[in-house]
Amino acid sequence: MTTTLDPRELSAARRVMWTYLITGFAIFALMILIGFSMRMEQAGWIAYAPQTFYSLMTLHGIGMITAVAVASMGELWYLMRLETVLDERLAYWAWGFIVAGAIAVVISVLAGQFGAAWTFLYPLPFVGTWWPSWATGFYLIGVALVTIGWMMWCTQMLGCVLSRYGGFRGALGWDYVFHRRAFEQSGRTPPPPQAYAALVAAVDGVLTGTIGMIIGVALIVHWISPSVVIDPLWAKNLTYFFGHAFANLTIYMAVAGVYVGMPRYADREYHTSVALAVAWWGTLVFVAIAYFHHLYMDFVQIRALQYIGEAASYLSSIPTALVTVYGSLMLVYRSRMRWSLGSLFMFGGLVGWIVGGFGAVLDATIPINSDLHNTLWVPAHFHTYLLEGVVLFVLGWTFMMLEERSGSISSAAVRWLVGLGFFGGGGLFLLGFYIAGAEGVPRRYAVQPAPGPELSGLASVGVIILLIALVIVLVEAIRLAAIARRRTA
Amino acid sequence: MAETTTIVLVVFLIGAGCIIAFMTAVALSSLGKPLPQAEVSRMGYAARKWWARILGVAVIIAFAVSVPWFPYSGAKVLGSEQHFKVVAQQFSFTLPPSVPSKTPIVFDVTATDVNHGFGIYDPAGKLVAQVQAMPDYVNHLRVDFTTPGKYVVRCLEYCGVAHAQMQSSFEVQ
Ligand code: HEM
Ligand SMILES: [Cu+2]
Repeated sequence: MTTTLDPRELSAARRVMWTYLITGFAIFALMILIGFSMRMEQAGWIAYAPQTFYSLMTLHGIGMITAVAVASMGELWYLMRLETVLDERLAYWAWGFIVAGAIAVVISVLAGQFGAAWTFLYPLPFVGTWWPSWATGFYLIGVALVTIGWMMWCTQMLGCVLSRYGGFRGALGWDYVFHRRAFEQSGRTPPPPQAYAALVAAVDGVLTGTIGMIIGVALIVHWISPSVVIDPLWAKNLTYFFGHAFANLTIYMAVAGVYVGMPRYADREYHTSVALAVAWWGTLVFVAIAYFHHLYMDFVQIRALQYIGEAASYLSSIPTALVTVYGSLMLVYRSRMRWSLGSLFMFGGLVGWIVGGFGAVLDATIPINSDLHNTLWVPAHFHTYLLEGVVLFVLGWTFMMLEERSGSISSAAVRWLVGLGFFGGGGLFLLGFYIAGAEGVPRRYAVQPAPGPELSGLASVGVIILLIALVIVLVEAIRLAAIARRRTA
Repeated sequence: MAETTTIVLVVFLIGAGCIIAFMTAVALSSLGKPLPQAEVSRMGYAARKWWARILGVAVIIAFAVSVPWFPYSGAKVLGSEQHFKVVAQQFSFTLPPSVPSKTPIVFDVTATDVNHGFGIYDPAGKLVAQVQAMPDYVNHLRVDFTTPGKYVVRCLEYCGVAHAQMQSSFEVQ
């Protein structure tokens, strides 16, 4: 990539990126072990008190989402830093808030045994608890701090995108789409693909972060003064509005690395097209309103919102299927693709995103949702596009950086092992969730009805295979980083 | 109803298999003779027009087909059908001991403390209907039972320490 940064600026930008990425990976490593232990507990291989199980489930949920968010934020921040000026200090402040929040959450769960699930659905954090009241406060304040850090990042991103590309009109590519001839004759070019990811993440992030802060403050007020009551349906709407977007946006942030990385691996060009711009306009809207599918089984919800929820959930798959993934396939098709761990991860991430998205679209169909809502089908599809999607995008970006800086790649044997582990082991792990979901086994059960435990055992075997692959990935990352260091020294 | 999730699973597995096979084939094509990007773009954009149409039509059809099956008929049937009250609380259900089969019935579902889920499993163990049980609100779940027998009820919204044990049953006569 051509860059206008001088070496000092470039290394400062890289430091921000690595700070975010390594933070994300460190949290990810811990959370994956917790996830593994939960799956083994459901299989009956180990025994947890239910309190322990649900506390760990809470930590795994919020921890994983924070981990992939932080890593994607670092990646996208760096990509945008190559396009425009971004103040590193603000990025470190945002990071600091997130880390402070994460520490508060860890204290709340590990010392206080908080266990109302990461979605903290009112009034569960306050009723029938086995944890002390301070743990609830720590958890809520911790999530609020994470949200503040995230919103700081979003605000910085929004400011830079708007000033760099000429306000919303320019950043959206309005004139490029509607007055294309005049636009191109005046010698202008639309924002690059990664800028669309940044714009959408920033706008939806500010919007849903604000919603998150509203419900968060309401809960903190209730925590301080229990006589202030909250409407449970209102709370549910706001909570899922926030939670859905926070989790969903991680994908759209991380995929920016694929926009930049895939053309480099394929040795082809990739530019913003009208289709890409319009696709991201759609994503901007659908990410915000698809959350209604979390309330399908709340029959008292305003009826129109159920219809909107199904429509938005369906429509949100179109930009992905028609533009981002399709475009990537066109880059790879009969190209001189260089296959390395980095490109394998990026491509595999696209597969996981589409497969998981398909599982999600089925579940977003209201009559089907009647049979799958809150069964293990839900963790089945979101683990597909988080574990085999976002995580792979971020790993792909990380390995692309490592490969470029070290000038070397992993051997074919390593690539096969990692590929088999990730897709074979990972696939087995996911299949356990999918089959159990179709069998009606509920999610979030410390002890599952049949055939839950058998399938949990099968899934745990898959996790072991996946873990072996992850260890190999870690060793390779360290090896490449060491070579890169020697080269620059 | 019982077989729907099996069909969904099979559809999903076939779909996932096709997606994986197709994308793998594209990946493998990069091992053969390369084609100039302009050529690929020309073919790709032409094919995308069709892909867009297929997707668009699929979405519209799926939406249209699903609407008549929405479970929200509650308001329409209120009054004429037999009503049964269901109350969920940490960690039990207050239920009618039995309900009639082959006649439309409506469960009026609520909760006293936190959010719960009212999930009905038929005698074969399949999830046949569900609705949220929420404090301050009453959700009306319409069910027409055809097979008599013992139906198990499980909580389908995480509600605390004994969530996995929150189970009850009623008889369909
Ligand atoms: C091999 C790796 C992983 C394992 C073994 C694992 C395991 C689990 C298990 C057993 C559950 C509880 C399922 C239930 O009974 O409801 C769970 C929930 C969850 N996982 Fe994972 N997981 C893994 C990776 C991930 C990743 C990569 C993410 C996100 C980036 C993630 C995010 C979540 C979330 C958000 C929940 C929901 C928690 C809740 O229901 O409150 N997991 N995971
Ligand atoms: Cu429950």
